[in-house]
Amino acid sequence: MGPPPRTLELFYDVLSPYSWLGFEVLCRYQNIWNIKLQLRPTYIAGIMTDSGNKPPVVVPRKAQYMINDLGRLKQHFQVPLRFPKDFNSVVFKKGSLSAMQFLTAVNMEHPESLEKVSRELWMRIWSRDEDIVESQSILAAAQKAGLSAEKAQSLLEKISTAQVKNQLKETTEAACRYGAFGLPITVAHVDDQTHMLFGSDRMELLAHLLVLLKAACGGPHPRGEKKPSGP
Amino acid sequence: MGPPPRTLELFYDVLSPYSWLGFEVLCRYQNIWNIKLQLRPTYIAGIMTDSGNKPPVVVPRKAQYMINDLGRLKQHFQVPLRFPKDFNSVVFKKGSLSAMQFLTAVNMEHPESLEKVSRELWMRIWSRDEDIVESQSILAAAQKAGLSAEKAQSLLEKISTAQVKNQLKETTEAACRYGAFGLPITVAHVDDQTHMLFGSDRMELLAHLLGEKWMGPVPPTLNAKL
Repeated sequence: MGPPPRTLELFYDVLSPYSWLGFEVLCRYQNIWNIKLQLRPTYIAGIMTDSGNKPPVVVPRKAQYMINDLGRLKQHFQVPLRFPKDFNSVVFKKGSLSAMQFLTAVNMEHPESLEKVSRELWMRIWSRDEDIVESQSILAAAQKAGLSAEKAQSLLEKISTAQVKNQLKETTEAACRYGAFGLPITVAHVDDQTHMLFGSDRMELLAHLLVLLKAACGGPHPRGEKKPSGP
Repeated sequence: MGPPPRTLELFYDVLSPYSWLGFEVLCRYQNIWNIKLQLRPTYIAGIMTDSGNKPPVVVPRKAQYMINDLGRLKQHFQVPLRFPKDFNSVVFKKGSLSAMQFLTAVNMEHPESLEKVSRELWMRIWSRDEDIVESQSILAAAQKAGLSAEKAQSLLEKISTAQVKNQLKETTEAACRYGAFGLPITVAHVDDQTHMLFGSDRMELLAHLLGEKWMGPVPPTLNAKL
């Protein structure tokens, strides 16, 4: 048997397009690298408030850059990103609170479905420019991900409970304790070190950290650990 | 003969550590990829003012993150980065105006030395935590880069001329027109398209846009192949 898998925590919010990019890369590599990927639904508005940061789009040139950047990255990452027509309304008025509470409930009761439901919510907001705030929207995403109508409805009812609200709060606070000022953040636990990496553009460095520290342990080149070959 | 080289413009300021990382990667790849690298000394404080952006460090968690991020990237990029002890003074009080004016003068009169002089200024501020504002500091960097004392002194005298000051202004305005809100920016001219890429972490994407091979931030040199 080889060495134990390293734990990677991905803190994300479906409101964040760069979170989607990081999510897809890590989902692809979870069966290639010797890692255990733990998805952590987080509330990005909470991170902003707590850190004193502001979303990049408040600087006009950053907003324009983001549109161009995502237009290029969608090809490179092969993720079907499309900017919402009314971005300000989608991001600032409507937000993502119930969606992230729903994913928190999924994580608590049906964690094996978390990856698919997360993806379906991203496909709604960041690919088809569809709503993710209304109950019907969230139920539609859950069913598209394979949950039965009954299961989806029961999870939806849980989002108003203290248990689910507190869990989302705690996950968001955990991200803040790791130093988050935005999302996504990837927290890699390697030997006795913890590395918090911000954004979707530190994946090559992450691979370097995982391979390098493994090699430093003196073992042979590990089974299943491949050199990074792009997103 | 193959296709003509693609022009890449790198707008940078030695005050910016991420500019140093982008600079070293592109300097390494300029002899591997079919590109013509044009170095453009720019004034980052001017970019900030014009775009309404603020340096990342005004958010405390971003400041802490930058320290950690650069600590990891220095290994990965093999660039001897070291955070200045009094970062706020170095970045906000002292700044980089005369250093960037000096590099502008070098670019106008001795462009073949621009790469080396830029590197020596980065080595001072971002590796050895040394001053880059005083005349002696700038002259020391220039001489370490191979310029004679006379040449260095003559370039230093030029930094107070309207010509040099205006050139730095124009380069900074050009970066702003490309949409810059910080530095570094790499502007790639590919066929009839222009792509502005911000930061030192879009190099793999740049390779993809150019149709070139990405071999990480420390590619093997041509010598290694012989």
